[in-house]
Amino acid sequence: MASREIVQYDSGLSRVFKVLAQVFLVVYLIWTVSPFIIMVGSSMKDLLEAFTLPRVGDWLGALSFFDFSPTFKHYVALFAEENFGAYLTNSLIASVGSALVAVVLGTSCAYSMSRYQFRGKKDVFFWIISTRMAPVVAVIVPLYAIFRSFGLVGTLPGLILAYTTFNLPFAIWMLKGFFDNVPYAIEEAAQCDGATRLQATMQILPLVAPGIGAFLVLCILFAWNDFLFATIIGSGGAKTLPVATKELIQPQNVQWGKIMAAGVVTTAPMMLLGLLIRRYLVAGLTMGAVKE
Amino acid sequence: MQKTLRAKRASFSAIEEDHGYAARRLDYGPGALNEEPKRRYHILLMAPAILTLAAITIYPFFWLIYMSLHKVSVARSDRWVGLDNYARLFGDVKYTDGWLLLVKYSALCLTLEILIGVVLAVILNGSRFEKVLVTVFLMPMMMSPVVAGLVWYYLYNGTFGWYHWLFQSIGILGETSILADIDTAMWGLVIVDVWQWTPLITLITLAGLKRVPQDQLEANMVDGAGSLRNFFTVSLPNIYPFLLIAILLRFMDNFRFIDHILVLTGGGPGNATRILPVYLFDVSFQFFKLGRGAAIAFTLLIVTIVLGLILVRIFDDPKKQVASGEAGETTDD
Amino acid sequence: MVAISIENVWKYYGETVAVQDLNLECRDGEFVCVLGPSGCGKSSTMRMLAGLEHISAGQILFGDKRINELAPKDRDIAMVFENYALYPHKTVAENMANPLRMAGVDKATVTKKVLDAAKLLEIDHLLDRKPVELSGGQKQRVAIGRVIVRQPAVYLFDEPIAHLDAKLRARMRTELKHLQQHQGVTTVYVTHDQLEALSMADRIAVMHDGVLQQFGTPAEIYSNPVNTWVAGFVGEPTMNLILTEVATEADRPKLTHKGFTIDLDGQLGEAALRGNEKALRFGIRPENLKVSLERSPGAIEGTVYTRQLLGSDLLVEVETGNDHFRVRTSPAFEGEVDRPCYISYDLGHAHLFSAETGQSIV
Repeated sequence: MASREIVQYDSGLSRVFKVLAQVFLVVYLIWTVSPFIIMVGSSMKDLLEAFTLPRVGDWLGALSFFDFSPTFKHYVALFAEENFGAYLTNSLIASVGSALVAVVLGTSCAYSMSRYQFRGKKDVFFWIISTRMAPVVAVIVPLYAIFRSFGLVGTLPGLILAYTTFNLPFAIWMLKGFFDNVPYAIEEAAQCDGATRLQATMQILPLVAPGIGAFLVLCILFAWNDFLFATIIGSGGAKTLPVATKELIQPQNVQWGKIMAAGVVTTAPMMLLGLLIRRYLVAGLTMGAVKE
Repeated sequence: MQKTLRAKRASFSAIEEDHGYAARRLDYGPGALNEEPKRRYHILLMAPAILTLAAITIYPFFWLIYMSLHKVSVARSDRWVGLDNYARLFGDVKYTDGWLLLVKYSALCLTLEILIGVVLAVILNGSRFEKVLVTVFLMPMMMSPVVAGLVWYYLYNGTFGWYHWLFQSIGILGETSILADIDTAMWGLVIVDVWQWTPLITLITLAGLKRVPQDQLEANMVDGAGSLRNFFTVSLPNIYPFLLIAILLRFMDNFRFIDHILVLTGGGPGNATRILPVYLFDVSFQFFKLGRGAAIAFTLLIVTIVLGLILVRIFDDPKKQVASGEAGETTDD
Repeated sequence: MVAISIENVWKYYGETVAVQDLNLECRDGEFVCVLGPSGCGKSSTMRMLAGLEHISAGQILFGDKRINELAPKDRDIAMVFENYALYPHKTVAENMANPLRMAGVDKATVTKKVLDAAKLLEIDHLLDRKPVELSGGQKQRVAIGRVIVRQPAVYLFDEPIAHLDAKLRARMRTELKHLQQHQGVTTVYVTHDQLEALSMADRIAVMHDGVLQQFGTPAEIYSNPVNTWVAGFVGEPTMNLILTEVATEADRPKLTHKGFTIDLDGQLGEAALRGNEKALRFGIRPENLKVSLERSPGAIEGTVYTRQLLGSDLLVEVETGNDHFRVRTSPAFEGEVDRPCYISYDLGHAHLFSAETGQSIV
């Protein structure tokens, strides 16, 4: 919805407000971006440079942050010494795997949820959404016990299944909203054109394909960023990047350069994916309650 | 299956309309109904997802209840203890404090996020840089909470953390790191949450602001309202449902995500930041008292479900028109 | 190319009745309009014909074949939807080719048939476009193109031109009628627009509240409506339906009203007495009334209430005894608002309806 420009009448006070607003914006921008800059910067610094701070109150000294000769040795070390290649693979398999499971099962379920009226549908729906909103710490307690008895703890299938607990309800919920917006008449037209029920359903899949793609990416993102499931269910054989990154914190010798490099490795791919599906992000992060 | 239908005389009686157009209605029902078509198609499509979800949510839910009524240990078999696990929660100061801290933590986070988020949205709305800035502000949300925790752990560090230096330079902190002091540790967590999630509030508010009816704003201006009045009398009531959703979502996320807390303080110093989910994590996976943990988890779940019910209620409320509002296809004429 | 019989068909949505005991016979090649306001059950009827909706009771036959249990694809039908229901991701050509592809027709034939249909509908220059790039009228043509590429047994049209503007609607009416006559395919056409029904149909089925009110040719429906509902629904401006009391004076029946008295004779008179009813609704179409500023014997006296110009005609509403008569007359009529005037009528065009049941008693 493009909104018309509203006429603004300038007064002294409103000019003051405007300046304040700009200042606020700049401060907020710096505060949002600074952790990223420091993360990336520190990941490319040598030990000594990383530990240098200006004197307290020496504002100009802050610029010394940018005074370093970049090195990629921490990144190299991550993969050479810390086995990050394997963790990266684990993260990829677990997140993509669970996203695929969620989206494939979710699409067919969401489709029927959207098209088929049955008694108790509201309750089923509430159950689905509540599983998504359940606190991970609470879910993980029984899940850990069950997975342990099935030998799923410390395995990638176990982790994929664990991620499905939040990705599948998410996919069903979001995709149902998507299917709801596709007129049923299109499928009916297809049936009149001579399509079977299944063929008619297939006809409308291209229409929701962008949404399916976007929610696949969001599912990957949620799973990739997870820490709790990964540290409990995945501990041992299925260590993912967030867990591995956290484990770099050793009581005696905290290697900040490496940790920051690991942070970049963990964050960068998701940042790119996030930009890719920018249009669906708000809907995805608010469970579809708000669309841009 | 053929069933006879009782004639519905009442609904069939002649209806007299405005201009005296009386239509002929029937006063009998059909002899027999045709067999309903089978709905196998939809059930087949729904079954895999529903069954999977049931297996990984309902089954564990009953397990949770089972565990909460037992003393669960890794070595020996489970021992029935009845409601003992629950009873002990009442005497557990860490449990009750956990709730209080959770509420305190959420309240602090939400207040700041809403305040900053809404102000930011109002400034951004219609600004020249809206698109670019919104994209930049999305970045923290894409970051894994645990990585966010690690980065801020580094930034807060008492000897070489840049934000520690900043706080010292402004003069609000001494030598001690924000996380090491019982009085400030909670704020350290709040800052991280605010950093990561304020943009979400901003985005939601922006979406709401775009839907504020232009004619209402204009009518209000004609009635003599300035921009500030306009915001409070027209915009705010219109974005209120959006904010409500944002609040609930964030509140529930505070239950859901404790990743950064585990990294930053682990509940300390002392128990200053041991909000209930963190305490639950400790009981279950530090001390492996799974039965106790299950009892805590159960209470936490119930509260979440109630919150969820409220949220869904708001979703469904047609008057609020939060969702995009496309009406479903009606099949009848 | 098949006859359709709808036999004792009922449609329930839960407890709500959408269609009640519907019986209709469409002859082979006939153009039948189902006419009624929204919620009258006409769309449900169409959807049951198409197989998109379960038939709660009764049966539908195409020829001798019961089609209740057949899936839409096995019914040999083609349907045009109210909102066109084009595939948004396909081009015009692909949209039109879809039914042929589904039927497994070879590529060369498909291309040829699509082109033929497109030419017929004058949309051959749009074949590469997507539906979003088309205007409402063009979309509508594509939707029609999609049904005429093959020769099905039955065409189903569900308010296909309801969303077009008035001018385009008039044009599409002619074209659709022409197309149907040209192809001779049995057609069921659902509409709420009585003008569409009157101008296109061979026969019209008027429905109200799920019940078939009248089934007949446009002329029958127009000149012999069976009840006040049909009388009021068909025809624009609507028929005058004035509530009057029945009285007899020297064995001659007459209708009395606060503002006028009408002497009845012959057939009308007999009918008025036959039912022994106290009150009757006197129905007459605006074009069968004449209004004049001069008094004439037997004319109804009243005052001009409004004048509305309907292009070539003038609609004068005359107030008499708290009721209004609508009269269609020439714009030359000089009566200004509030002027006394006189309405004369020809009882040959008059209708009498029972005030109680609304049924025609003639």
